[in-house]
Amino acid sequence: MSEAMRAAPTKPNRGYGRWTPLWFLAPAVLTLFLIGIYPTIFALVTSFRRYNITRPREGFPFVGFENYVAVLTDSTFWSSLLLTAKFYVTVLPIQVVLGLIVALLLHKPGMGLLKSLARVTLVVPLATTYAVVGLIGRLIFNRDFGVANQFLSFAGFGPVDWLSTPGGAFAAIVIMDVWQWTPFCALIFLAGLSMVPGEIEEAARLETSSKLALLRHVQLPYLLPGLTAVMILRSADVLKLFDMVFVMTRGGPGSATDLISIYIQRVGFRIFDLGTASAQAILLLIITIVISRLYIRLLYREVQ
Amino acid sequence: MTFLRLDNIKKNYGDASVIKGVSFAASKGEFVVFVGPSGCGKSTLLRMIAGLEDVSEGQLYIDGKDVTYEEPAKREVSMVFQSYALYPHMNVFENMAFGLRMAKRPEAEIRAQVMEAARILQLEALLERKPRALSGGQRQRVAIGRSIVRHPKLFLFDEPLSNLDAELRSQMRVEIAKLHRSLGATMVYVTHDQVEAMTLADRIVVLRAGLVEQIGSPTELYDKPANTFVAGFIGSPKMNFINAKVSSVSGTGLRLDHPALAGGSLGVDTPAAARVKVGDTVIIGLRPEHLTVGAADPVLSLTLDFAESLGGSTQLYARSEGEPVIALTAGRPELKPGDALKLGIAPRHIYLFDAAGLAL
Repeated sequence: MSEAMRAAPTKPNRGYGRWTPLWFLAPAVLTLFLIGIYPTIFALVTSFRRYNITRPREGFPFVGFENYVAVLTDSTFWSSLLLTAKFYVTVLPIQVVLGLIVALLLHKPGMGLLKSLARVTLVVPLATTYAVVGLIGRLIFNRDFGVANQFLSFAGFGPVDWLSTPGGAFAAIVIMDVWQWTPFCALIFLAGLSMVPGEIEEAARLETSSKLALLRHVQLPYLLPGLTAVMILRSADVLKLFDMVFVMTRGGPGSATDLISIYIQRVGFRIFDLGTASAQAILLLIITIVISRLYIRLLYREVQ
Repeated sequence: MTFLRLDNIKKNYGDASVIKGVSFAASKGEFVVFVGPSGCGKSTLLRMIAGLEDVSEGQLYIDGKDVTYEEPAKREVSMVFQSYALYPHMNVFENMAFGLRMAKRPEAEIRAQVMEAARILQLEALLERKPRALSGGQRQRVAIGRSIVRHPKLFLFDEPLSNLDAELRSQMRVEIAKLHRSLGATMVYVTHDQVEAMTLADRIVVLRAGLVEQIGSPTELYDKPANTFVAGFIGSPKMNFINAKVSSVSGTGLRLDHPALAGGSLGVDTPAAARVKVGDTVIIGLRPEHLTVGAADPVLSLTLDFAESLGGSTQLYARSEGEPVIALTAGRPELKPGDALKLGIAPRHIYLFDAAGLAL
């Protein structure tokens, strides 16, 4: 057989070439680049420049770590971060405990129809846009016609001025966040509980009648991976939490609900100091990554 | 002395009745095996004794105490599961110690108990390992160890050997038998494997569709099966059944007609002859291992269909009207398919059942 004949079947195919896979990948990669990578790189570059768009005549000179130094010595930045941390450590335990209780109730045998109904209901808060949660929050915690005060009046308490007192506003955003995210914890824990093999649970039931011991020694190991996921996702989410709080309180009254993302937004889009805001955002990104790595290192254990 | 007593135990799932009234008593130190085809309710019955399933009706007593509605942990029973059910995140030591820890026993005692169990089961070298690093047989030994450290009143086994390969299965079977002898404990064991039932049991409870078919020692069940179900279930290969017609009754003698019988009929002596009349159907039961090839006065006259050599013995499949007749014979008879097969049997090995399948 001649060389020419052997080469014949490999004549160019118009429908498929070596670049074809690239064309299929291109839209996704391009989108990712445009909405993910480009802004991040832009923020990174901007964070090293003086970049105030209200003063374009000064140009956008490269200033090295000046913005970072400014941010790290800015007491408002630190107090916002501290407030965010306070918010996180307030909402997370509530969500984990309530979520676990809901998951344990849903894990109990019996009442099939009601349980599947409850499981579907759990998705509703998760599917609600943050801004809408904020709007609902504004209605619930309205001083004059909100249901929160209506319920308090049933219990014999006078109206509370939720959104215009510092404590009330913080409590209000905590309650709305718990409302929105407890179902998420419940679903994650429910998945964890259903991972426990039935016979292992039964073996433990033969050795102890304590439900708490069963939870601690047999079910908890299956819940830890889920708990880690909840902690990582929630910490990332709380650090970027913006819409719900912005709609409800705009960070006020005073700085009572001035979470870090609201502060960064104010620096970037009220003062238009994009350089400083970018430096803050990059620091936030670093904090998120460090916290996530810590959780994974300290908590995450595969059961099998 | 009765140690475990089941009093008309029933289990319903909605309208479906799974256990339809089982009564049974076992004395202390007895090894009882529940055996039956899948779906007969034997595992459900065991789980009710453990307390893992609610009892729908009836009473359950362990060591003289009514435990029908007692919590599983308070019944002082231990159970070995088919899937071993070891705690995956604990090592072997912790797996065995868990029950004692939950009972808040002193650490020194826990240590002593676990080490003792590990010694009995040869697990000393594996105490630090996690279950995933163990083989099936080792896992099963840990599961057994976990149940013996607590010194329960009652050991329950739910098909503990079905996940093991054949060799390991017979090895573990011997170990369980030894364990029973050395502990002297009362054990209830569920299996669908009649070899396990025959070799381990002091008494076998044969279950079918939620009802007890027969209770007795392995040899009783083999020698005097109460009905065709038990007769077919106990023994391997299973008993051959021939539906014959009664042609004459005289005193204690019966004459039974069937084309497979040598000469078309068979005369048997039975004290139950008075209970049948001419024209009735009588089922003749013949165990394959009792049939002899080339007997002087054959009982069956058949044609060989197929022969399976097992090395030391040969299984012969003979053509018959219904199910093929199976004979198990020692050695390797010089027979080929199509050959005439004359099978004999000692008269005392002939089982007779009435048309409903009950022993005559």
